[in-house]
Amino acid sequence: MNEKNEEIEEIKKELVIERLRQAPSTVKIAFGSSNEFMNRDELIEQVQKETELGKKIIKVQLEYLKAFKKGVV
Amino acid sequence: MACVLFSRPCDDVTLNYLHYYSKELVLECDKIGHKTINKEKEEANKAIIISIINKQKPELIMFNGHGSPEEICGHKQEVIISAKENPETLKNTIVYSLSCSSALILGPKSVENGAISFIGYEFDFALGKDTESEASPKYDKIAKLFLEPSNILFSSLLNKKNVKTSVEKAKKKMKENIDYLHATSSFPEAIYYAPFLFGNYLGLIAHGDNEAFIN
Repeated sequence: MNEKNEEIEEIKKELVIERLRQAPSTVKIAFGSSNEFMNRDELIEQVQKETELGKKIIKVQLEYLKAFKKGVV
Repeated sequence: MACVLFSRPCDDVTLNYLHYYSKELVLECDKIGHKTINKEKEEANKAIIISIINKQKPELIMFNGHGSPEEICGHKQEVIISAKENPETLKNTIVYSLSCSSALILGPKSVENGAISFIGYEFDFALGKDTESEASPKYDKIAKLFLEPSNILFSSLLNKKNVKTSVEKAKKKMKENIDYLHATSSFPEAIYYAPFLFGNYLGLIAHGDNEAFIN
């Protein structure tokens, strides 16, 4: 991955983390292979550490934002 | 009437939610008059499920459980169906897999190997939870928004609607629930669940014959 792509990926990651930070701490989501519900901070941790789950969270959040921009949702 | 098989493991908190919600489908299936085979908890294991598929040849199967692009799991995450090992097991069946991302590889692979239709999720399935519900699915108003569309889909199949119509009904309900999450002021965290439910909406897909239905 070149430097510009890396920068873009980092911006996407920060965008998702910021969005998740705005959520109330009461948010609970089970996602992917997790067999427990994760709270806001655990979701953020997955994204920060760029785990497989974290990458999937980024993908879902960005797809949603794209759809929101297009007026799909 | 058709023969319908349910695989319903229940060995962790998230599976408990799927188990609870699918109970009404088992009851509905029986009420309609289909031959209903319900394998739940520890009975949702590979030996039992494969044996039933081979002997009873169900026309329609619902799998609850954890999954991956290539696999559907049962009790204690035992792999029941794998794209590499036994995709032909689903031959001549319509399958609904309520498990993470199994429609990505296993879905098309099972259709290549004779499944009539494979309905599932290409993304990881997300499930929201209401913290006030004390992990009781019955009282969880958030989980309902995520699981109700799934029940609508399978109920539609049970009622002899085709795959395409059933998937469309589920997607319609998901969109309605996303709209509700955008608009409601009844709980402050609502909007933050919307992207995850949208992921379910995007990921829901049917491979194979879209016009297929059970009799």
